Amino acid sequence: MRNKSILKLVSRFVMIIVCSLLVLFVLNICLFIGVSFQGVASGGGWQVTEELTAELQENGDGTYFVSERGKQILAERDAWAVLVQDGTGDVVWYSENLPAEIPLHYTAAQISADTLGYIEDYPTTTAARENDLLIMGHPKETYWKSMWNTYDLSLIKNLPRNAVMIFLVNLLVVFLIYAFSTSGIVRYIRPLIRGIEALPEERVYVREKGLFTDLAHSVNEASEKLKIQEQELKKKERARANWISGVSHDIRTPLSMVMGYAAQMEDDAELPDEARKRAQMIRLQSVKMKNLVNDLNLASKLEYQMQPLHMERISLAAVVRQTVAEFANLDFEEKYPICFEAKEGSGRGMIRGDKDLLCRAIGNILTNSQVHNPDGCGIMVETDAGDGAFVIRLEDDGIGIGEEELQKLQSTPHYMMSDGGVEEPRHGLGLLIVRQIVAAHGGTVLLDHGRQEEKGGFAVEMHFPIKENDDET
Amino acid sequence: MDFDRWKQKRILVVDDEPGLLQMVVSILNQDGYTQIKTAGTMREALGVCQEWMPELAILDVMLPDGDGFFLFEQIKSFLDIPILFLTARGEDSDRLHGLGLGADDYLVKPFLPKELLLRIGIILRRFYKDEKPVVTLKGSQIDFSRAEVIRGGERIPLTAKEFEILQALYRNAGRIVTIDQLCEAAWGDNPFGYENSLMAHIRRIREKIEEYPSSPVSLLTVRGLGYKLTLADKE
Repeated sequence: MRNKSILKLVSRFVMIIVCSLLVLFVLNICLFIGVSFQGVASGGGWQVTEELTAELQENGDGTYFVSERGKQILAERDAWAVLVQDGTGDVVWYSENLPAEIPLHYTAAQISADTLGYIEDYPTTTAARENDLLIMGHPKETYWKSMWNTYDLSLIKNLPRNAVMIFLVNLLVVFLIYAFSTSGIVRYIRPLIRGIEALPEERVYVREKGLFTDLAHSVNEASEKLKIQEQELKKKERARANWISGVSHDIRTPLSMVMGYAAQMEDDAELPDEARKRAQMIRLQSVKMKNLVNDLNLASKLEYQMQPLHMERISLAAVVRQTVAEFANLDFEEKYPICFEAKEGSGRGMIRGDKDLLCRAIGNILTNSQVHNPDGCGIMVETDAGDGAFVIRLEDDGIGIGEEELQKLQSTPHYMMSDGGVEEPRHGLGLLIVRQIVAAHGGTVLLDHGRQEEKGGFAVEMHFPIKENDDET
Repeated sequence: MDFDRWKQKRILVVDDEPGLLQMVVSILNQDGYTQIKTAGTMREALGVCQEWMPELAILDVMLPDGDGFFLFEQIKSFLDIPILFLTARGEDSDRLHGLGLGADDYLVKPFLPKELLLRIGIILRRFYKDEKPVVTLKGSQIDFSRAEVIRGGERIPLTAKEFEILQALYRNAGRIVTIDQLCEAAWGDNPFGYENSLMAHIRRIREKIEEYPSSPVSLLTVRGLGYKLTLADKE
């Protein structure tokens, strides 16, 4: 993943380089053409010379005069001109400003040389006037003349191929430059990427050195901030759990008295039946509150991972048996006949678990049955082993649960974990705790109707995966 | 009555909440306990202990002048009596701490009166078992001091395992004792695989204590879970 992002980075850079190279290449050609066209537009002095021939008139006696326009052309350029007669090579006309060093007679060889190059360092241009030759001399350093303007034809022919070759060589050089310069960048970026990628999981520190000092600093700062926020959050959660624990502590003593006196009045034979019944209601409700207080505290601790787990090797069947026995012991009225069966192979099953918490989970389900069936119900508890898991199944034959309600129970989060409005449907803490405890053991909880559906009933199954190392101590 | 011996025990109840003290006293009174004193602070409790020598103490953990765990150690330093914590501190760590100190039980508030009475009964029977060696069942008696069953004027000796099992059942009389707990009592730390032996022993015990062993009235089976011993004088 790390190398992938670097690869992406490099390929992107190469793309940009190649594209910009192409663009530059085309742009340069355009600029070159544009600029040279500007220079060529004036014809390098040749065109002006051509114009000047038209302004030169013959007087009829073998002498010539230049028109006003011709004079203007010469004056504008600060140029001089001579007209060389065909055959004789003599100058038959010259402009008034002709410098003294310019010869007044030309041989054929001189004409050829002067046409190609310079006369006394004055760059020249020529034009034919009938058979005569008009030579125009421009001020020194106006023009640069290519004296040997021929090229091998093969060179011109190969021009496209050569251009491509040159382009490719350029590309290679540019790429080498890029590779050289970016190898450093990649080296600096790699720890940054690694740091950013690790940010969500852990606290990171990137060395603040090299090209990206600022970036590294930002990454470190972000990490620090995240850490602080995490601590703040934990602090808040701890405060909330402590608050719940404090409230549940403070409520226990007053609730003891409600529960104790109600139970006493319920058993007081001297009181009228009606009053005893009312006392029973108070006692039942206070038991509910007791369960709620116990659950609230544990649920918040489990939720915020403040409940230490005391994992040890335990016999699941023994834990279930003990919890069921305790439940039966407290069922003074014997309204909830309960039986237990350890199915084949599960009797000696050992798992790593927290005995108290597992007792709590099982106890919660039993209490649930009790709360939902105030008139009593039978309860069947089984342990079973199979499919790589130990299963505890608790089932009652009480009023059961509607299909819709069951769906809700299976899908709706408890309000302690939901941040939505308070109006949404909730269910008791009891099952939430069962889920939390079983999850802490790596297991899952299934809710269902009783097996004999026409009779209603409610069933809870806890599945604990059997791990290889469960056989070790 | 034989059973009344327990009801004569001197009981000290310590709690900083007067209302709760009053209620515990009334619960104990109603069940027949007559000798009860209360204390609201640690100092008061220690004073009562020194003068009155209670035979059972029920302690709250949070007291205005110190914590109950410290009081526990103070009392234990000069009095060998069973102590039950009755507290609002419901955390596992507190419970384990209390039991770890050597408390005989740890009951978290709120509680039902019957729960408290049951636990007090168990503690007293366990701690003062030598004082009342003969236990009366329906139709027979067990003499724990001599490991014998007395039925119809006849003395029937108990084997070592039968004795251990009966003792475990008696300590928790009226409550279900699970198969695992009984096996542990009789065979120690690694009680697995003794379920069948346990059943055989139970059968032999019934032959000794029950009038009709095939339809027992004292040593009852709770299917799948374990066994329960009911005493004559509890009914």
